[in-house]
Amino acid sequence: MLIDGEVNHTNQVEEEAHFDFDLFVIGAGSGGVRAARFSANYGAKVGICELPFHPISSEVIGGVGGTCVIRGCVPKKILVYGANFGGEIEDAKNYGWELNEKVDYNWKKLLQKKTDEIIRLNGIYKRLLSNAGVKLYEGEGKIVGPNEVEVTQLDGTKLSYSAKHILIATGSRAQRLAIPGQELAITSDEALSLEDLPKRAVVFGGGYIAVEFASIWRGMGATVDLFFRKELPLRGFDDEMRDVVARNLEGRGINLHPRTNLTELTKTEKGIKIYTDHKEELLADVVLFATGRAPNTKRLNLEAVGVELDNAGAVKVDEYSRTNIPTIWAVGDVTNRMNLTPVALMEGTCFAKTVFAGQPTKPDYNHIPCAVFSIPPFSVVGLSEEQALEQANGDVLVFTSSFNPMKNTISGRQEKTVMKLVVDAETDKVLGASMCGPDAPEIMQGIAVALKCGATKQQFDSTVGIHPSAAEEFVTMRSVTRRVTASGKPKANT
Amino acid sequence: MAAAAAAAAASSLTTPKLTFPSLQSLYRKLPLSFPLSLSSSSSLPLPKTLTTTTTSLSSRRPLSHHRRRHLTTRAEAENGAEASRHYDFDLFTIGAGSGGVRASRFAANFGASVAVCELPFSTVSSETTGGVGGTCVLRGCVPKKLLVYASKYAHEFDESRGFGWKYDSDPLHDWDTLMANKNAELQRLTGIYKNILNNAGVTLIEGRGKIVDPHTVDVDGKLYSARHILISVGGRPFIPDIPGSEYVIDSDAALDLPSKPKKIAIVGGGYIALEFAGIFNGLKSDVHVFIRQKKVLRGFDEEIRDFVAEQMSLRGIELHTEESPQAIIKSADGSLSLKTNKGTVEGFSHVMFATGRRPNTKNLGLESVGVKMTNNGAIEVDEYSCTSVPSIWAVGDVTDRINLTPVALMEGVALAKTLFQNEPTKPDYRAVPSAVFSQPPIGQVGLTEEQATKEYGDIDVFTANFRPLKATLSGLPDRVFMKLIVCAKTNKVLGLNMCGEDSPEIVQGFAVAIKAGLTKEDFDSTVGIHPTAAEEFVTMRTPTRKIREHPPAEGKTDHDVKAAAGV
Repeated sequence: MLIDGEVNHTNQVEEEAHFDFDLFVIGAGSGGVRAARFSANYGAKVGICELPFHPISSEVIGGVGGTCVIRGCVPKKILVYGANFGGEIEDAKNYGWELNEKVDYNWKKLLQKKTDEIIRLNGIYKRLLSNAGVKLYEGEGKIVGPNEVEVTQLDGTKLSYSAKHILIATGSRAQRLAIPGQELAITSDEALSLEDLPKRAVVFGGGYIAVEFASIWRGMGATVDLFFRKELPLRGFDDEMRDVVARNLEGRGINLHPRTNLTELTKTEKGIKIYTDHKEELLADVVLFATGRAPNTKRLNLEAVGVELDNAGAVKVDEYSRTNIPTIWAVGDVTNRMNLTPVALMEGTCFAKTVFAGQPTKPDYNHIPCAVFSIPPFSVVGLSEEQALEQANGDVLVFTSSFNPMKNTISGRQEKTVMKLVVDAETDKVLGASMCGPDAPEIMQGIAVALKCGATKQQFDSTVGIHPSAAEEFVTMRSVTRRVTASGKPKANT
Repeated sequence: MAAAAAAAAASSLTTPKLTFPSLQSLYRKLPLSFPLSLSSSSSLPLPKTLTTTTTSLSSRRPLSHHRRRHLTTRAEAENGAEASRHYDFDLFTIGAGSGGVRASRFAANFGASVAVCELPFSTVSSETTGGVGGTCVLRGCVPKKLLVYASKYAHEFDESRGFGWKYDSDPLHDWDTLMANKNAELQRLTGIYKNILNNAGVTLIEGRGKIVDPHTVDVDGKLYSARHILISVGGRPFIPDIPGSEYVIDSDAALDLPSKPKKIAIVGGGYIALEFAGIFNGLKSDVHVFIRQKKVLRGFDEEIRDFVAEQMSLRGIELHTEESPQAIIKSADGSLSLKTNKGTVEGFSHVMFATGRRPNTKNLGLESVGVKMTNNGAIEVDEYSCTSVPSIWAVGDVTDRINLTPVALMEGVALAKTLFQNEPTKPDYRAVPSAVFSQPPIGQVGLTEEQATKEYGDIDVFTANFRPLKATLSGLPDRVFMKLIVCAKTNKVLGLNMCGEDSPEIVQGFAVAIKAGLTKEDFDSTVGIHPTAAEEFVTMRTPTRKIREHPPAEGKTDHDVKAAAGV
């Protein structure tokens, strides 16, 4: 139950409680706010610090709400919504709507509204904290000792607090690639706050951030070139589905450059000139590096207290999110486990339960669904076919459905929606589900509940469809597309 | 989706289990006409008598949900005489809609010789017109959804303005383009359905089927004998006989109007009425909905009923509640007035009645062969879809069970299994999800709060009513309502309801979970997909209310304020 307001429940630890706080959290993003609020609700006295607000982050800039709210999920989704209308306007014509060949777009208006919205959310988050009785400090947090933090405020004054537990939830930040002219490129932070909509955009990277921004700019009418090192974008996802995503991105007019590296950027009068390792040259108004993110561990003074980091600079934690220093914990992207907001929330909740509710709880990383908000979007839960083959004891049954969504029958859009179920042949359990097509992220959430609880293919089949929907395909995949043995070779292809 | 269904249909023809020629030929020779006398088959699961085939059949993975039944020796003996008789077909299906096509195809795949008859194609149904594909494809789900897509753009244009898109002038809609493209698609689909039947080896006969005796069907004067007859003739809109009803259009006509209504009265509060209200409103007609009750969508969750009515009103649809139609009057200028118990509303270009549908059981010869019908004209069937005449079966809307395409499909498959795969199968009507493609749409599965309270007494209700991220930018008053109903004793999720964008798509996956009997903990243990609307269903932490039989219902409302990102 929620216990709001003043915290008077710390008496039971009075004998040892000469700490200013039971918990001090560094970083008020998804994981930090969740852990702080829930800990306070469990009766802990909690302080939290966060850098001042700005859409673009740096060593000294952040904002309550963190990446998700200010520089990630939320503003990204807003721009995806905006860009998605581009395709809708095209599709509307065959449905009888009379529109100009080119519909105008006011980027500044969207940008302003996006900023207004994240400022509003920033305020909501601050209120959430104060309603939970969490004390918020604005400034940069550092760890001074196993039970001591120091917050450097904006005016340079330093505050020092003791805490029984310290939680590091400082997240991560976009990285640039070290090539000549890299300063001419931007990261996703800036891409969410560009003054002008680029006419020619170059995106370098094959991850979800890269394909999302490529889709956003393309949807708004820009020429987009997407460069990535592998054969297909979205490494780590199901190979067959990666291919579907790639084809759909191309179908929407994005130029794909697989197996290509950028080698140099130079500034010219006509724009930024891009050189590739295939000796290509290209001019662009904007070059986005979506080449990975690095944990924000540099300025926390972790070495001084001996908190161990991994090679990528992430804080090493055990299954309960505890670092090698027993009083210091870490959740979210700074631990580089699975860098998703809902996972950080889960880790934050588990931490609070473990430390302040007497219920040691490990986050469960099985069957975590996720979505890529490309246009069209892509969403998955559970295992890819490749992972399933590695993990299943016996054969794996693959069911796929590739179809022309009903909307396209009139709009004329040439784009297939593809769905896939990967099933353990022996147990009939559905090991993985994936979809690329409109509404995929919304559709996948319910499927995720079913998979999380070990639903079998038979249980999918026994569910009646909702007609006419795209989602009903997930419960009407009758014929197996192929049976694959662990050796990876299809046995039969019916 | 129909197109997808077609693709799936084509692929399932190659299902390995159907391609053993020896099995197929065996089937054809077997006495398959066993009566499913419920008393005998449900009491004693006697040993299998069709040893060779049943053994090979039962080596398949058993279905966990359907307890396998077996033919009884008695059943075989009773039909020994009949089995030797020669029939033109093992199965003759009257009506090639969702249920009929599905049953025919599957029966053929299981080795039966099958014919199906259907009336000639027309977008408007009558005693003499129909078309392969049936209501769903020609006069229901598919054309309706296409018009929903078309009309929804109006809302999307409004939304897009909030996201920076600028239109020189308000986008106009050209009705003729839409109708032409829609009809081209329907022609394509009816062709696909014919191919599906053809590929499955089903004989398609165009004409009106009539039952002559328990094993004979007359199609326009030609007689066909069949071991089994399946009635799957569906239903048709029903318009009450009131003065001026000749001016009224039904949903068939509304899907294929020559011009866009300027101002339309829609009489009815069911899903068809609401869907058409959304369609015409989106296409910029002036829409008035007249309902007899206080609320729309009788039978749905009360809160959903309120919510959808409010959202539709906000989009400009005028709801006239507790108004019953009494007459339609045509004025000299050609416009129509609707007279109700409360007064007269004038100036309609169209008056549409969505006042229910009736089974198409007239002139089928049912009375003469003794097929029993209910008071409203639906064919009475047992749990295996068998009518009062043992060789005559019925599936789909003509039986008026749950009138949904996927349910007719389920009934068709179950019937084919029962008759031709030695696997008596009852359709399972538990947790059938459904959607209303109103704007905003509704998705639901399982029980309403009212049903759950009645059935389980103690329940916990979780609700979320929020402004979606899209609306915060668009500035439109769109909201989303979600509701989970949980059994207090077992923690099982009994029902899930949603009204808001994407509801039908969102609910499908949850339907799998609810059908599988999952608990609220199972929902809670699932990680959200961020940022989506659907994630709200797995992040509902605090019950909105707890309903208890005794002591008095705990009215404690503990509204957890929804932060946009749910942190």
